[in-house]
Amino acid sequence: MHSNIYIVIPVYNERESIKHVVDSLLLHQYSVIVVDDGSTDRSIEIIQTLPVYYLQHAVNLGQGAAIQTGISFALLNQAEYIVTFDADGQHVVADIETLLTPLLNKEADIVFGSRFIAGSFTNISFGRKVALNIARLINYLFTGLLLSDAHNGLRAMNKTAAAIIRIREQGMAHASELLLEVKRNKLRFCEAPVSILYTDYSKKKGQPAINGFKIFFDLLFNKLFK
Amino acid sequence: MHLIQFLLFGGLFLISFYVYRKFKSSVVDILIIFFLLIIGMVFVAFPSLTNKLAHAIGVGRGADMVFYLFIIFFSFVILKLYARIRKLEQLVHTVFREKSISEAKTGKKDKEPSTD
Repeated sequence: MHSNIYIVIPVYNERESIKHVVDSLLLHQYSVIVVDDGSTDRSIEIIQTLPVYYLQHAVNLGQGAAIQTGISFALLNQAEYIVTFDADGQHVVADIETLLTPLLNKEADIVFGSRFIAGSFTNISFGRKVALNIARLINYLFTGLLLSDAHNGLRAMNKTAAAIIRIREQGMAHASELLLEVKRNKLRFCEAPVSILYTDYSKKKGQPAINGFKIFFDLLFNKLFK
Repeated sequence: MHLIQFLLFGGLFLISFYVYRKFKSSVVDILIIFFLLIIGMVFVAFPSLTNKLAHAIGVGRGADMVFYLFIIFFSFVILKLYARIRKLEQLVHTVFREKSISEAKTGKKDKEPSTD
């Protein structure tokens, strides 16, 4: 039913959460691709027991690189739609339908999940909210696209967009680079409400706001050197 | 001749010799090395020349002019090297990506990945 919809999950040391996340996706009969990005906690032992496609980077390359690997593999498997989904359990599986609707209606090529538009729910902390607002303004400066959210790991694209987009930023700057790619290739995009549930685990796994500086410089160099 | 001039001459010769040994690929390379060596030696032998040049372009001292030019030069070198590193990183990623895709597996159920 949903087998041509591929969910790409980049994994780096997510031994505790990955099984639960994958199981909830399989309930909806999505095809799941797990990319183990050189985990050192033997996440792969858990992944191997799950009915999913799994790929392994020999060393840790970064989330952007893992997502690109998953997307490339999904395209090889004739995926119609590709969704990126975080492994830490902060996304809600039901939101995938919301993201896919504009794609299925041919209204957009890529849909970004947003935790800040009507219909979404998030228990985000004030500090993180401020950091994300700064991030979206920085994204706007670099890309000319002003979205309501930045660095939301839940997004969906059709195969046309997936084939065009090339993520070269291996680290977290890939989220902003995606916007650059959307702009450069004149892809149709929109936002859809998604809920983000911060748990102690996901907060621990999430990136500290200070990484924003690294992302900023990565973006700057991305612009300078292409 | 001051001691520093001997030291600088020695340094220039050593660097030129090293570059020659490493990159003696074409006549043009050797000519460029030779040309740079001569310029370096002239400035070491006649330090007042840099002062004159500096004055001509509005800098107080020759040493300051050399310093400014080096900042520009090394900024350029650092950026070029950074660009090279990024390119290499992307290359490494492509290799790892293709390897991981060609070795893709499925978990316990019956699906077979098709990688062709």
